Amino acid sequence: MPPGLTQFYFLFLQGKKLVTNKVTQLRDTLNLLSCSPAQFVGSIRTLKTTTWFEEHLTEDNQQYMRKTAAEEYRRQTAEKLNPLKDEPWQRHEWAEGSRRVGLVAVKLGMAPIWTKTGERHVVTMLQVQDCHVLKSVSKEEFDGHTAALIVGGKNISPFYRSEKEMEMFRNAGVPPKQKVTTFKVTDNALIKPGTPLYAAHFRPGQFVDVTAKSIGKGFQGVMKRWGFKGQPASHGQTKTHRRPGASGPGGDPAKVFKGKKMPGMMGNIYITAYGLKIWRVNTKYNVLYVNGSVPGHRNCLVKVRDTVLPTRSSTLLNPPFPTYFTEEEGDLDEDLYDDNLFIHTEPSLTLS
Amino acid sequence: MAACTKGLDRFGLSLRFLRTQQLQHERFLSTSLSRLSPVDTTEPPKFTPPPRPVIIDKTQDAASQRRFLSPEFIPPRQRTEPLKFAIERIDMIRRRKVLNIPEFYVGSILAVTMADPNASGKINRFVGICIQRGGKGLGATFVLRNIIDNQGVEICYELYSPRIQKIEVLKLEKRLDDNLMYLRDALPEYSTVDPDMKPVPLPTTGEVPVNKTKVKMRPKPWSKRWERPKFKIQGILFDLCLTPRRMEHAQKWAQPWLEYDMLKEYDTTKLEEEILSEVEREMSK
Repeated sequence: MPPGLTQFYFLFLQGKKLVTNKVTQLRDTLNLLSCSPAQFVGSIRTLKTTTWFEEHLTEDNQQYMRKTAAEEYRRQTAEKLNPLKDEPWQRHEWAEGSRRVGLVAVKLGMAPIWTKTGERHVVTMLQVQDCHVLKSVSKEEFDGHTAALIVGGKNISPFYRSEKEMEMFRNAGVPPKQKVTTFKVTDNALIKPGTPLYAAHFRPGQFVDVTAKSIGKGFQGVMKRWGFKGQPASHGQTKTHRRPGASGPGGDPAKVFKGKKMPGMMGNIYITAYGLKIWRVNTKYNVLYVNGSVPGHRNCLVKVRDTVLPTRSSTLLNPPFPTYFTEEEGDLDEDLYDDNLFIHTEPSLTLS
Repeated sequence: MAACTKGLDRFGLSLRFLRTQQLQHERFLSTSLSRLSPVDTTEPPKFTPPPRPVIIDKTQDAASQRRFLSPEFIPPRQRTEPLKFAIERIDMIRRRKVLNIPEFYVGSILAVTMADPNASGKINRFVGICIQRGGKGLGATFVLRNIIDNQGVEICYELYSPRIQKIEVLKLEKRLDDNLMYLRDALPEYSTVDPDMKPVPLPTTGEVPVNKTKVKMRPKPWSKRWERPKFKIQGILFDLCLTPRRMEHAQKWAQPWLEYDMLKEYDTTKLEEEILSEVEREMSK
């Protein structure tokens, strides 16, 4: 309850006395305000603009709500399966220099693969879960330079979202998403909101960039954060083993230069791994097998896009444009492999 | 024809001799042929050549009748999506359909044939005792150890590597411990295996035999302090190399409360049963 209202309430209660003695009134008001508001209101809730989802619901009603929400998700997903059939947007041909949309994927973990020459590589498995285009932003609306697509991945419960957040999902007609991200695309690669995106958007042999929030390490010293050498363990060291040492020259600049590597919070920042090769795509479970490691912890949501590296862009020849549509290329194999990848159904290798 | 009859006669006689001497062995050809041998019939029946002897090699080809799940199928206890392990299992089963990966344990003696670009003939066969199994899923490994020219050699093989061409179990047995890394610090005779060893036949049913040998160690220092309680080593003769006082001293690092830590329990029996039935179903397809 705001203080003004408290005062009014007080006035209402003791109006008669107030008229007689204004000084007493002021003092009493102050007394009342100084006592804890919890005592007055009778609740410890701090968020007062909305109610919790289950606040006034019985157990049965909660279950019913959850069940209907799940059904609604299924219905919405089923509706969007054939985006080319109902009022499709005009499509353009792939041209050199076009930028396609990317995907939001979940990091499953790492696994080994082997090439046909018997070399072992490690790959990260990224699963594309319920990835939909949420909004299409034209060049003028975005920043005047490029158009953009807002994409979301991994369905979540709608009951803990504010109305403002839900608006975009409702407009697109898809369930709310845990991760929402923006991809800058060229004008010819714009897709209608609500279009589902699949792992087959990327093809084996092409290179991608993966962006995610790295694992947080907390406040770390310079040895862990920046790889400083530290000082010896013994030989007369006193309280100086992992310290940064000097932070710069003395008299002449007479300051510490900006950007000096110092202790501080490490990790938990967005990091992009550039130019990772796609070895294999599983179209049944929508899993991408991306070469090497990827920032972020297990089960974290990552952003995957075509690589921006100029030396690797030549691998992108005639990709599905603007994205992969199931009704167009429905007869894809369950697994798409890179040419150089050993497939486990083949016999053992004999090297020459 | 007469010569044939005579020969057959003699054959029958020798079979009877074998029977009386109780020399029957499963690798001999079947003795049931003797009912065909005409002992007192004057008119011998039409000559039938004896059936080819069927030699059953019970060491290799006979599939194990035990229900056995390789340990790399059991997912580790972590918050990874179970789908990840399911997808890996599909690939593991695919590979197992091509390459026969037999049942083996730490302590078994294995021979692994592997494509090696640097070996003469491009093929390398190594015989050794399995001292460790590691890794889960497709990245499962095992370590073989042998002593060649008085030099200890260990090779870590990837179980699902396509370069592996054959895995033979020469002797299937378990040891007292699940990890035999202490053989590095033991006398060399305990890790020495003859490279031309012949497979030892073992029953394909019933329990896997446990070899209860306890090894003698070289004098300290060892690569690790094997007497410490965290290793729980059963297969070392500590009496020969350590004084009772030092054995007692090692107990200083005991953490007897850990076995009562219920949060560390990871009961996989139910999971194992599910995965085993899934693997059996897929392998029989």
